Amino acid sequence: MKTFLALTRRELGVYFVSPMAYIILTVFLYLSGLVFVGTMKEFAESQLPVSFQPTLQWLVMLIVLTSALVTMRLIAEEKKQGTLEIILTAPISDAAFVLSKFTASIILLIYLLLPTIGYLIIISRYGPVDFGAVLCGYLGLLLVGGVLYSIGLFISALCSSQITAGVLTLMVAVLLIMANIMAPQLAETSPLRPILAYVDLSVNFSDFLKGVVDRTRLVFLLSVVAFFLFLTTRVVESRRWR
Amino acid sequence: MIDVSNLTKTYPGVAAVDDLSFQVGKGEIVGFLGPNGAGKSTTMRILTCFIAPTSGSAKLAGFDVVEQSMQVRRRVGYLPESNALYTEMRVEEYLLFRARLRDLSAADRASRVGEALEKVRLTDRRRSIIAHLSKGLRQRVGIADAILHRPEIIILDEPTIGLDPTQVREVRELIRGLGEAHTVLFSSHILSEVEKICGRVLILSKGKLAASGTPEEIANRLMKTGNVRLEVRGEGRKIKETLESVAGVARILWSSKGDMNTYVVEPKDGLDLRPALVRACTSGGWEIYELGYERVSLEEAFSILTAGPEKGGTP
Repeated sequence: MKTFLALTRRELGVYFVSPMAYIILTVFLYLSGLVFVGTMKEFAESQLPVSFQPTLQWLVMLIVLTSALVTMRLIAEEKKQGTLEIILTAPISDAAFVLSKFTASIILLIYLLLPTIGYLIIISRYGPVDFGAVLCGYLGLLLVGGVLYSIGLFISALCSSQITAGVLTLMVAVLLIMANIMAPQLAETSPLRPILAYVDLSVNFSDFLKGVVDRTRLVFLLSVVAFFLFLTTRVVESRRWR
Repeated sequence: MIDVSNLTKTYPGVAAVDDLSFQVGKGEIVGFLGPNGAGKSTTMRILTCFIAPTSGSAKLAGFDVVEQSMQVRRRVGYLPESNALYTEMRVEEYLLFRARLRDLSAADRASRVGEALEKVRLTDRRRSIIAHLSKGLRQRVGIADAILHRPEIIILDEPTIGLDPTQVREVRELIRGLGEAHTVLFSSHILSEVEKICGRVLILSKGKLAASGTPEEIANRLMKTGNVRLEVRGEGRKIKETLESVAGVARILWSSKGDMNTYVVEPKDGLDLRPALVRACTSGGWEIYELGYERVSLEEAFSILTAGPEKGGTP
């Protein structure tokens, strides 16, 4: 546990000693601000009661964009620089190593989402806010982020170039968020159609947005995270049996 | 302390380590010698549990590297060849982080880091960012990390590579000092270095153990090429003929200045011909002015052992 915390702390530290975290934070804050102002304008023009939901919907898209930047260096860099050797010859289990990377990325995600609570405070002054639904929405954001970051971590473990890992992660993330849009392009009888609809992250997220924690969605998202963390651990371990 | 038996590691098409067996006792400083690609790093990576062997076993401090990897890792300090460090950290911060990974108690951490820094003489650079340090200083950070938790066994992969002569000497002194309290296995492809520090040398060639012993033992075993140099006063040709009749002589080179003759006698099959040659000279009534024995240096032994003809190599 102590080693896990030490690893996680260092991992977070790396984000903040490099300009990476600040760039991601700034861009995320800027874009989310734009989105917030945009949705508020629409509410003002349409005279409809204000709601935080459209902003949350946009935040999912922004998380997709961050997934590559946040995860691409996690393991690829250690492989390239050779630091993997000093870490994995210390008494640390491969699982603790992988989990610390993932935890650090999720903590960064929480940092990203924290400022958006400011929007919530602003909005609450102009109309009633369903805090339960908003809380569900944030849970959904964390879950979707968890899925994307665990996949990114897995890809980072496979690649020894950060850039390759980043590009691949972004491709997969975009695919996952648009799967449902792509589904109708396929033939009516294609077995892929229901699968695409099922894995689509925005579809999975939309229930949370309504303030419903659907157990099947929850289990699905959590098991995807667990699955990719498991795969990542196996990839890290594979140096032993290759 | 280190017990390796029949260790083999194969990569597709190549055996990086081939049926390697050796032991290292407690408190020994053992040098691992071999040209690049001999399998030194691979062996060390197996011993430090970074990779697993294809077959065979290795035990460190009584623990198996595959079955009891965590116990082994706790007892081993390792400096990899790449000496990769988290360069964005400060020296002391990095070592404290490493101490935490090694599960040292909070009370111990600061004192152990201080101790390690003192040993590698980096105390005045403790606040420096590792990225700003020279290669030699980084190497010392790596060594400090390897000794931080007072491991029973220290494994150093090419600790002096890329250092300037002064730094090499310093690191050498440091390793010699480590031998007092730890078992040290270190690799090098430079002979003089190993010769100066190690009690024992293991010479590796193409993944196999080519020789093991003290530098002298290895050289002695290769005495095949140990020529005898004789300076004898007398009738040159006659002496040469007499010497040639001594059993075991392969070839004699003769030069003379007046009645002083110099002979270089090349023996057959690693025989030590000195007593026989002296007897031959004295029975002929000639006086010997000098008797020299051309010992094989470890340097020569090394090249003989490792540069042998390619056997069954695949293109």
